[in-house]
Amino acid sequence: MFSFRNPISRAFATLALLLAVFAVLFPFVWVFMESIKPASLGGRPDLWVFSPTWENWNEVTLNSDVPFNILNSFAIALVTVLISLLCGAPAAYAFSRFRGFESARYSILAAEMMPPAILILPFFLVLYHLKLIDSQIGVIAAHLTFVLPVVTWFLIGFFDEVPRDLENQAMIDGYTRFQAFYKVILPAVRPGLGAAGVFGFVLSWNDLFYALLLTGNESRTLPVAIAGYWTFRGVELGKMAVAILIAVIPVLALSHSIQKHLIRGIGGGAVKY
Amino acid sequence: MQLKYKFILPLALLLSAVMLYPLAFSGWLAFHEYRLTRLDDVHFVGFENFVLIATDPSFLNAMGNTLIFVLGAVSLELVIGLSLALLLQKLNILRNFSRSILLAPMFVTPIAVGLMFRFLLNAELGVIPHYLSKIGITVDWFGPDLALFSLILIDVWQWTPFMLLMFLAGLEALPKTPYEAARVDGAGPWLTFSRITLPMLRSVIVVALIIRALDAFKVFEYVFAITRGGPGNSTETIMYYIYQTGFRFFRMGEAAAAAIMLITVILVLVVLLVKFSQAEEARK
Amino acid sequence: MSYVRLEKLRKSFGSLDILHGIDLEIARSEFLVLLGPSGCGKSTSLRMLAGLETVSSGRIFIDGRDVTGLEPRERDIAMVFQNYALYPTMTVGQNIGFGLKAKKMPADQIKKKVDEAAKLLNLSHLLDRKPGALSGGQQQRVAIGRAIVRQPKVFLFDEPLSNLDAKLRVEMRAEILRLHNELQATTIYVTHDQEEAMTMADRIVVMKDGLIEQVGTPEDIYFRPATRMVAGFIGSPAMNFIAGTGAGPCRIDSALGALKVDAAVREGQAVEIGIRPDNVTLAQSGYDGDNPVVPMTVKLVELLGPRAIVSLEHASGQAITAVVPYADISSFRTGSQVDIMLAVEAMHVFPVS
Repeated sequence: MFSFRNPISRAFATLALLLAVFAVLFPFVWVFMESIKPASLGGRPDLWVFSPTWENWNEVTLNSDVPFNILNSFAIALVTVLISLLCGAPAAYAFSRFRGFESARYSILAAEMMPPAILILPFFLVLYHLKLIDSQIGVIAAHLTFVLPVVTWFLIGFFDEVPRDLENQAMIDGYTRFQAFYKVILPAVRPGLGAAGVFGFVLSWNDLFYALLLTGNESRTLPVAIAGYWTFRGVELGKMAVAILIAVIPVLALSHSIQKHLIRGIGGGAVKY
Repeated sequence: MQLKYKFILPLALLLSAVMLYPLAFSGWLAFHEYRLTRLDDVHFVGFENFVLIATDPSFLNAMGNTLIFVLGAVSLELVIGLSLALLLQKLNILRNFSRSILLAPMFVTPIAVGLMFRFLLNAELGVIPHYLSKIGITVDWFGPDLALFSLILIDVWQWTPFMLLMFLAGLEALPKTPYEAARVDGAGPWLTFSRITLPMLRSVIVVALIIRALDAFKVFEYVFAITRGGPGNSTETIMYYIYQTGFRFFRMGEAAAAAIMLITVILVLVVLLVKFSQAEEARK
Repeated sequence: MSYVRLEKLRKSFGSLDILHGIDLEIARSEFLVLLGPSGCGKSTSLRMLAGLETVSSGRIFIDGRDVTGLEPRERDIAMVFQNYALYPTMTVGQNIGFGLKAKKMPADQIKKKVDEAAKLLNLSHLLDRKPGALSGGQQQRVAIGRAIVRQPKVFLFDEPLSNLDAKLRVEMRAEILRLHNELQATTIYVTHDQEEAMTMADRIVVMKDGLIEQVGTPEDIYFRPATRMVAGFIGSPAMNFIAGTGAGPCRIDSALGALKVDAAVREGQAVEIGIRPDNVTLAQSGYDGDNPVVPMTVKLVELLGPRAIVSLEHASGQAITAVVPYADISSFRTGSQVDIMLAVEAMHVFPVS
């Protein structure tokens, strides 16, 4: 593989890269600045000229629904992911191991790609009739439509990498196939379970579409709450910035921890590098 | 029951409940007059909803906007993602640092991304127009001419990292020997890239394109956060159109018909893409 | 009295037949090696014996019990896999004791048995390590320890040494033989390496295309190959084959002229004569009136040390390989003319079908 030996082209390449890094970082820096601007200056385009204050942070964390929204988002994402792992892991194992599931495997991918537009109408109507609009249960059910396929697909790649002889060995050692699965194979894909769980959590945490239409005051999630700030722009900009940071920081930290497992998961055993 | 079916039973049951049933329900909806405001008057109307939607200029406009959005965003993401991946690969300084930063946007809540850019690019209050005007450039990012393009740029900001992630892994997995052979044979950087790197990355590129394109069809948050379909209906995308039809005008039957037509369009595109890439493969 | 018996064992995947009916009997304490090129069905046979592959038809008995339809765990066998299949999340000690845990053996007894096995295999100091931290040879020994600790009725080995380097392979070969002698366990061992088979086996089963070609001791297999395939597969460099036609009893017309052989041949029958390179000598190094002498051209000399492999070609185009003391041929170059002598008593005659 060639590398930049020529110092001029090397300088250009470095510059391009730094430009990209800047483009990515700039919105984050801006939103942080907005969050510590005094409310009176909110929305003024100057970036630097103000004396920082934590009033927005105090206001949002102590005097708003945001902590409650965080709790909702967290509970919904957690339950969604746990159910997905519980149902997805055995299925992903079966897709990875048994003959005759080749087309089923890809129907999981198709489910993952299903546009929410076609699912939201029945969800809304059914939950409406069950009086479950504005409940966590409704949102969890809706989030399962994408988290469950993603987690399952994600895990197939990890199971594919565990040698079949491992469960053969366990079955010869005196265990049933199911015992071999949970005593030997599951521990062997623990990093994959963690990564799939985190990825599914992030997807549920980030969803706006379903949450917007299925939640109300009792179950509102953080993205919906953030969207709610937009109508009051200007004055509320600082608070919105705080809410955005609160939504974004944990997710960035979590995803950073699973970076090296992401590729195998997204590829789902279909991309062979 | 055979053991293998026991393993997939929980998934099958759950997916039937949360996907198959809603899909069937949507299919049923599409053939009925079903207004949330007139629940006592739900009746079968045959293909009427499909006809209504297919002849609705705003549906066609939304479809067109969405196709432009998908095409523009995904191709830009492909080019920028591939370039950045190559740059990162070659510049070993800063690699881990910039890699972590460059991957970050894809995890950010899309509504937050939309709102951040809404204010960053806002004509009166935004930081970017503010500084651009200082060097004599005035751009109305969300005006009628540029709004859709701005949404594409926002999608590029958020999702180029996905392409980057795929291509970095793809590049890392490439065998080294063809490059050594190419150097011995005296091939220049461009020839090496176009004849060795690109063909070897091909399957990764196809997969990344399909995943990204299917995802881009679902674009909703940026429209909801920034333009609400405007100015006029220049940024109304298909998801936003269905959202409006179903939840603003409560015309569930027509919304379902639109969703089914969306899926049909997507399916046709995926089949074409797969066929095309297989034909390319066979040609070689 | 056979201890393990395979009866008309068949395996097919869809319309593809992998095994065409294998009959085999293995005695108690015997070390049996299944040998053959890849795709011959040896691993499939072993996996069917272990219960990892279903049987299409036929039956399997272990110690008088029909195990054909039983799960692996019900067969009382142990198996060592090519890639060792160590449980990555367990320590060496837990790996070895895992099979005993399945039998619900009390923890203190498990520990005792694991310690014994570890001592036998020189693993005592590694019991708390994870498999990832071990060398290939150590992992191999853990896999073997896991097998012996359970004292199963039958040991199965599936190409256990093929991931090791040449030196370790020889060491582990000796180690497995030592354990076999000590434990007197019935062992079925699959390999494609003929050297392993020759040095370890009590009996060798040579397989090809899902059929057994020959069953016999290493001596039988090497000196009395039953078929052309066995003759060609065993021995390195490979046996020479010369096509010919029967010309009366004990006489064959071939590219190298009329040859007298120690075998009954019908007139007009198409045959192949096989002779190992070791049995081809240079004529001037000791002339023997009974053996045919043939003029050849030297094509290539490959030095192995004290001996050399000489590739020769006859005027008819027939190629012959000989292994000779290097001293005998040091003066020859490519293109030199030389007379060779073929040892009649070492010739094998195979009918051509």
